[in-house]
Amino acid sequence: MRVDGRINGREHVLDVAPSTLLLDLLRDLGLTGAKPSCELEVCGACTVQLDGLPVSACTTLAIELDGRSVETVEGLAPSDDRLHPVQQAFLKHSALQCGFCTPGMVMSAKALLETNPAPSRDDVVHWLEGSICRCTGYEPIVDAVLEAAGAMAHG
Amino acid sequence: MQILSDFQLHRPATVDEAIELRAELGDGAALYAGGTELLLAMKMGVLDYEHLIDVKRIGGLRGIELRDGALRIGAATTHREIETSPLVAEHLPALASLERHVANVRVRAAGTLAGNLAFGEPHADPAALLVALDATVELAGSTGRRSLPVEQFAVGAYETELGEDELIEAVVVPLPGRETRAAYLKFQVLERPTVGVAAVAHNGDAPTVVVGAVDERPIRVEANGDVGDYVDAARAAVDPVDDLSGSAEYKRHLTGVLVKRALEAIA
Amino acid sequence: MAERRLDGAQGGGGAGFAGAGANNTEPRISGTSVPRLDGVAKVTGRAKYAVDLDVPNVAHGVAVRADRAHARILGIDAAESEAVPGVLAVVTAKTVAPIDVRFGHISRDHPALAVDKVLYAGEPVALVVAETRRAAEAAARLVRVAYEDLPAVIDADEALGEGAPLLHETHPGRTGDEGFHNTGGGGLAGNLCAENTLGWGDVDAAFEAADLVVEGEYRYPMLYGYAMEPYNATALFEEGSLLVYTTAQHPYMVRDDLARMFELPLARVRVVVPYVGGGYGTKSYTKVEPLAALGAHVTGRPVRVALSVEEAIYTTRSDGARIRARSAFRSDGTLLARDFDVVMNSGAYSDNSPLVCAKLANRCFGPYRLEALRVRCRSVFTNTTPASSLRGFGAPQGNLAGELQMDEAADRLGIDARDLRLQNVVAPGEEILPGKRGIDADLGADLELATESLGWGERPGVGFGISASDAGAHPTSVTMVRLHSDGSASCAVGATELGQGSRTVLSQILADGLGLPFERVAIVQSDTGVTTYERTTGASRTTTLVGRALLLACDDARRKIRELAAELVQGEIEDVDGGVRAGGEELSYGDVIRRWFGSGGEVVGIGAIRKAGEFDKLPPFWEIGASGVVASVDEETGRVTIEQLTTVGDVGFAVNPALLHGQDLGAATMCLGAALSEELVYDGTTLSNPNVVEYRVPRVSDLPKKIDQILAERRDGIGPFGAKGGGEGSGNTIGGAVAAAVGRLLGRYPKELPLTPERVWRLAQESREREQEAVHG
Repeated sequence: MRVDGRINGREHVLDVAPSTLLLDLLRDLGLTGAKPSCELEVCGACTVQLDGLPVSACTTLAIELDGRSVETVEGLAPSDDRLHPVQQAFLKHSALQCGFCTPGMVMSAKALLETNPAPSRDDVVHWLEGSICRCTGYEPIVDAVLEAAGAMAHG
Repeated sequence: MQILSDFQLHRPATVDEAIELRAELGDGAALYAGGTELLLAMKMGVLDYEHLIDVKRIGGLRGIELRDGALRIGAATTHREIETSPLVAEHLPALASLERHVANVRVRAAGTLAGNLAFGEPHADPAALLVALDATVELAGSTGRRSLPVEQFAVGAYETELGEDELIEAVVVPLPGRETRAAYLKFQVLERPTVGVAAVAHNGDAPTVVVGAVDERPIRVEANGDVGDYVDAARAAVDPVDDLSGSAEYKRHLTGVLVKRALEAIA
Repeated sequence: MAERRLDGAQGGGGAGFAGAGANNTEPRISGTSVPRLDGVAKVTGRAKYAVDLDVPNVAHGVAVRADRAHARILGIDAAESEAVPGVLAVVTAKTVAPIDVRFGHISRDHPALAVDKVLYAGEPVALVVAETRRAAEAAARLVRVAYEDLPAVIDADEALGEGAPLLHETHPGRTGDEGFHNTGGGGLAGNLCAENTLGWGDVDAAFEAADLVVEGEYRYPMLYGYAMEPYNATALFEEGSLLVYTTAQHPYMVRDDLARMFELPLARVRVVVPYVGGGYGTKSYTKVEPLAALGAHVTGRPVRVALSVEEAIYTTRSDGARIRARSAFRSDGTLLARDFDVVMNSGAYSDNSPLVCAKLANRCFGPYRLEALRVRCRSVFTNTTPASSLRGFGAPQGNLAGELQMDEAADRLGIDARDLRLQNVVAPGEEILPGKRGIDADLGADLELATESLGWGERPGVGFGISASDAGAHPTSVTMVRLHSDGSASCAVGATELGQGSRTVLSQILADGLGLPFERVAIVQSDTGVTTYERTTGASRTTTLVGRALLLACDDARRKIRELAAELVQGEIEDVDGGVRAGGEELSYGDVIRRWFGSGGEVVGIGAIRKAGEFDKLPPFWEIGASGVVASVDEETGRVTIEQLTTVGDVGFAVNPALLHGQDLGAATMCLGAALSEELVYDGTTLSNPNVVEYRVPRVSDLPKKIDQILAERRDGIGPFGAKGGGEGSGNTIGGAVAAAVGRLLGRYPKELPLTPERVWRLAQESREREQEAVHG
């Protein structure tokens, strides 16, 4: 099927089998930030933004890209010295260790802050409930998201 | 990585086209919107379809409006849209709150309320509250349109009254009166709700209590006395099974606890 | 969260500030929370893990797995499967003969592909290799295996019983690796995988004389470590060598297994490990590398085997344990003797369970002074997924029983539970195990820090414990430092970066060892073709042991610079930061190198440690646990809420405090999972929850409401600047602490983890019934 959509702001016109999963499509395009882990929508390691909202790329059809916009972690920072506030906050708060959950966490956090620029701590916890981290114990991640909210609010 | 076996994807532009496809393709086809239950089952090899009928491009199937004293939720409306809708917040805050806690944010972003009802997963949240609110589903098929109370639609585990050529067009929830108090509470051990209880009281009437998630379908609790009567009746009415979330005995007990707490919440 | 750093270095002290290196390097960059080196790569998604690597011409291998727990293989029919377009081969143990497909670092008993029997449901029986993943999966479903079912045994005590089904008809014996001696391999019969006994004194007499005996049976669940990157490996043969990209924590151990299997010299097996998406011990030792290599061997193509999480659950889990314990006390609170009988459910193959068994034996009785001790720990084969290392490594299992008995004794003796521990805990320098290194920590002080933070005595629902683990594993480590012609330096170490921060910490130590700015050093890791030998990355050993080896390599490099400088200048030569001072002149490393070589060149320093000299006494260091919680319980539902978590990182010296805090919180969180929700459940011979939907790991909503993390640095370890290891210790006491906290709230101590809502509800019920009986007589 013909698919015409945007990935990280760039238009892609592709011929994609309906049964192709979005995660496979992205990773085959070299965008390996989104990771295969549980593959059952519960861990969040494959989180990308679809029209701004977080989705499990492992359980999303690639053809959903048609007419829509996908954002992955690779699209956030034009260069290492121009990291997105969420990325900067994650680094500052040591909100990652092995890093495997990190792209998904970052994209989920970014999606939150784009829909709710001033989340409470409870809002952040609620939003990230579906994202698993095995390394950090979560608190640095919540702190990072709240810091990023502050940074993004002040422009 | 888990892989889906091949299938064809159809994108009808109207309800009638969708019905025709359903009739033509029979049980080799499934309706597809968010896919949050369907694709998962297909990945796990539990379900297998050669055709998917994508309803997301059908005009008029998405959106929430006030019509004839009811909230009409289009079938392709996502959980998140319901959660964040000003109309739902104003008229049915208990539903907004329920939707806010369905699964996780990614499932809420893609999954639809109608899809949830049509899939018939017994360990789910929405059905119990919808039954307690006397909600109906509007179905369209080759023999025409019909409306069915959710209570009659949700027959059992993964079993609904949806005809082979039918699709859900909307979920319709009558607007409760100003004095109506409604609450939905759930308790969750693993990834899906273990027990969910909806309690709705219209203007001083005896409350309606419906228990969901713990049985194969929502169970309306027949009682009209004090809290203790509802608790006893609920515990007797449900038929839980032992599973990884807990034993039948524990779940029965939990049902009683949640019924009590739900009634306290609307008192 | 509160993070406090206490420098308890009274006079640089403790057991001797041994870790400074020959030229008394001072910590400068070490001891600061420099941002982790891999941080930017990981937040931008650029960091590559083994599953991300793009290997040209790769084919895909999917395993066919046994659908039954114990059976003889009568035949494997691959005809239909081979006919699927894109299939390159269907590999079985028979088709690769005469290769012996068994591997195993302690006992070579683990076939990569089942030979005559399958010993657990999920065991690989065949490997389908195809051009695409899709073809391989489709073809795998068409492989027909004929079985003759055998009776299966799931429960470890049953497996030890008379007439239990026998898993291993012969024991292949131990590999003889010196590092695994003392793992209980003598006289094994039946389904016994390992047996470790230890003790001293007259236990029976001590129990006779006791004023109080506490006894009980405790259960610790089988866990799945859920590292978010499942096992995967890509193998290829080229130029007569085997190259494998994999997720292994211990590439050199994997190299050993592969060299044995393919009868290749070590020099011709190269194992490369990029960033690993979570280790925690779950990726210790060989996993899917042999499968990938066998696939590559048969097809002549690079072959990738990448498991799903479900397959990973069918690859490795952790040992569950049944612990019978007795503790004898005098009425004044003196702990006289302990008697432990532990049975571990170790699954179908040895893997690392014999070592876990030995460590459990060493750790279960706690860091207490005992006049008599008897421990018997048995690791038992059952028809379940093989068990292996998991963070804590026997300590959480043993600690649950040992510490709960301290709490129970305190209640019954009328002595404060903290005081009871303080009374009996070993003092710094004292031996816990005869002949082993004395404890290099002040556990009493750590306990006081913990209990104060938790508000012990001021509020309900507090639980805590102390533990000391003989950590560090076997101290073999070789590191290489390279000084370049511009005076910058890099090092090559075999240690892997699992998230624990080895990349950053070792770079900090390197910078200080050479007196260079942090920006002028680099590190290469975990590539057996390029980096030098590192026995393992685990047992919390890297900062301590690899750090010391690295400082030795720095010393060696500096010595060589001095030698070269002596050829270039007159006069006395002394070390300065980044170079030498000689004849009144300061020469950087680069100056010396350039002048000596004339053009280009480099100087290489080697550091090696082994079990000798100051590392002869094991353990190299003790890893301390002194964590606790404050809990509340909703008795109607059984839901436990953690109101506060306190961890005490007694690590001697924190090379990177931020990374240390991260490890402490991570370890404690993992063990909170075992305490409250995690367990692999068998229904008959079937695993009921081989996925992370029905196996529940901690979520962000499980975050304790308040977290207090304390770092106690007394410079009392053998590592750089007095460091000791961390990363497991803070989890070890959590299971017992949660059980104690809940027990105090309900008036009845639990004896089994996890404390699921239902278990807690039942405990509350039982407690109320007991109260009623007491009231009504």
